[in-house]
Amino acid sequence: MLEILIFGAVTSAIYAMLAVGFTLIFGVARILNLAHGSFYALGAYGAYVLTTIFKVPLIVAAPLVVVGVALFGMVVERVLIRPMRKSQLAVLMISLAISLVVEQALFLTFGSEYRNVPSFIDQKYVIGGVDVAGQRLLTLLVSVVSISGLYLFIQKTRLGSAILAISQDPEAAQYMGIPSDRIFGVVMAMSAGLAALAGIMAGPFLSVQPSMHLLPIVKAFAIVVVGGLGSIPGSIVAALMLGYAETLVAYGISTSWTEIVSVAATLLMLVLSPAGFFGKRAAF
Amino acid sequence: MFGHTFSKRSFTRLAMALSAAALFAPAHAQQGPIKIGLTTAVQLQVGRDTQEAAKIAIDEINAKGGVLGRKLSFVVADETENPEVGINAIKKLTADEKVDVIVGGYTSGVTLAQLPHISSAKTIYLGVGAASPAITAKVKQDYENYKYIFRTGPINAVHQAKGLVEWISGHLIGELGLKKIAIIGENAKWVQDLVPVLRKGAVDVGADVRMVEFFDTTTSDFSPLLSKIKSSDAQFLVVVLSHASSDVFAKQWYDARFPIPYGGIDVKSQDGDFFDRVGGKSISQVAVNFAVRAPLTTKTVPFFDEFKKRTGRVPVYTAFGTYDSVHAYAQAIERAKSFDTNAIIKELEKTSMVGVAGYLEYDETHDVKAGGKFMNLLFAQWQAKGERVVLWPKSLRSGNMIMPPWLTK
Repeated sequence: MLEILIFGAVTSAIYAMLAVGFTLIFGVARILNLAHGSFYALGAYGAYVLTTIFKVPLIVAAPLVVVGVALFGMVVERVLIRPMRKSQLAVLMISLAISLVVEQALFLTFGSEYRNVPSFIDQKYVIGGVDVAGQRLLTLLVSVVSISGLYLFIQKTRLGSAILAISQDPEAAQYMGIPSDRIFGVVMAMSAGLAALAGIMAGPFLSVQPSMHLLPIVKAFAIVVVGGLGSIPGSIVAALMLGYAETLVAYGISTSWTEIVSVAATLLMLVLSPAGFFGKRAAF
Repeated sequence: MFGHTFSKRSFTRLAMALSAAALFAPAHAQQGPIKIGLTTAVQLQVGRDTQEAAKIAIDEINAKGGVLGRKLSFVVADETENPEVGINAIKKLTADEKVDVIVGGYTSGVTLAQLPHISSAKTIYLGVGAASPAITAKVKQDYENYKYIFRTGPINAVHQAKGLVEWISGHLIGELGLKKIAIIGENAKWVQDLVPVLRKGAVDVGADVRMVEFFDTTTSDFSPLLSKIKSSDAQFLVVVLSHASSDVFAKQWYDARFPIPYGGIDVKSQDGDFFDRVGGKSISQVAVNFAVRAPLTTKTVPFFDEFKKRTGRVPVYTAFGTYDSVHAYAQAIERAKSFDTNAIIKELEKTSMVGVAGYLEYDETHDVKAGGKFMNLLFAQWQAKGERVVLWPKSLRSGNMIMPPWLTK
């Protein structure tokens, strides 16, 4: 029981980091970013490159990678997505194209073998008789801290208020003098940075290979559909639900069944309540 | 002008004589190198080593003048681990490149999908990487269509299971007294063939098999599985892995300081740099190797050294099969004194030569013979600083077994 509690929490934490960024960029800029998983992948690979090839200590490499991927996200938004914003379909297609290009680039550069991302913590901790790797606990901590930080930022700062304003009513916000376009870039950077952070934290104990962006995007999509597109609390709750549902299935039935959970959840939610639990309007 | 010398009749006779001569002229009047088609997972170590080993064998044979006066050359097609792509690789080699022989393979599922296409192209195929006995089963069932298929290595899944049982009996139970074992394997064809034989064999030699479980090849979080194994009260974890995430498994096993040592068949662990790839976290893992740099045969050490000289690394198992396949094929042609496919097949069946890992002979289903003087399973353990120590068979033992560092405290 305790195992399910702990491992479920770690899984939910990773999912939450991915989902929050995904839902943020949609809620604010109405961009369904299928390249979100690529930020996760780039985070993990960035950590691998800096630590293994350039021998940079992890504690220095991690923030560098987060900032690097955030900037990459900003550039992607500015150069590739912004010109297409008139059509949601075009944005969808171009983000999909980006994810494929990144995957192929990683494949050509690093090959298909799994890469090793070092952990921050190597020790094992025993919690109530359960052996837990230190890195997993740290991931949980980092997730809670980063998402709380993001939430506080949006609630308490001026930039945060601007973001909220745009997500509520983009036109009114522009009339108030809020530079929407620039804010979209900032939000994209935050979203990408958070995903990259997830990649750096989870990379050490999950698989790092070129197609690692696929599952996260499916999971993130499932979570925001269940939680409601554009709602951060919704994503967190849904991430917890999905993380625990998968863990329960893995321990109770078999590991092979976990992937069905997210897809089934998406299907069910779209049929029963397309707006999700917390969403203010239907996703499509 | 020539008068009656070249009458119509004598001209016809001359033409007929010339055509008859052309028909019976030796086949290698057509010049050009013999093309070997390599089909393998190019991106993985098994694929890279297949190519390197082929180069070594080809260079050796060409240095001695080639085969019946013709040199050897090769082309590569990427079959990945996907059957669709594998079928395309075969089509590329047979239809586009028109190779004379195909050498390679890794994933049993891919090879099985490729068989009908190889058969219809009537091209000889020498498998070096896939272990399912189903691959050569068709040779006996439908000889006319599938006589082209041979497997040079590795020893098939059933033989591997028997090798594992011998190790469990002699080493785990006999020397270490570890009777309670858990068996986990990836959900792939060759493992499905192997595990039932392994389980029965283990029970027969006195092991207490606490649990047997298959897991999806794409699994990346092993905590639920590790938890189940822990509660099964096993003393040793026997794994059967090839395509699965061995790297991730090793790291998660180590990170959780899992209280049960593990070992078995782990193909990725055969890579010379596996230990470094996982940051040293595979320490104390016992993994099957099909050959190590020891005088298993007269060719073993020279081959390892040549391979190391050319690539700076230690070869994985597909290299042995490839090297042996190219030599076996060349020698079959020499004995047949012909390039006719059927003649070569007849000679290949009679192969009896020294290989890298053991003597090479094919049985009646064109499958490589195992055990004794033929190829065997060797068990090597990762120890400190990435050193690999051979533990089994006893005759090749090069050091003592160690336990995971956290268990010795």
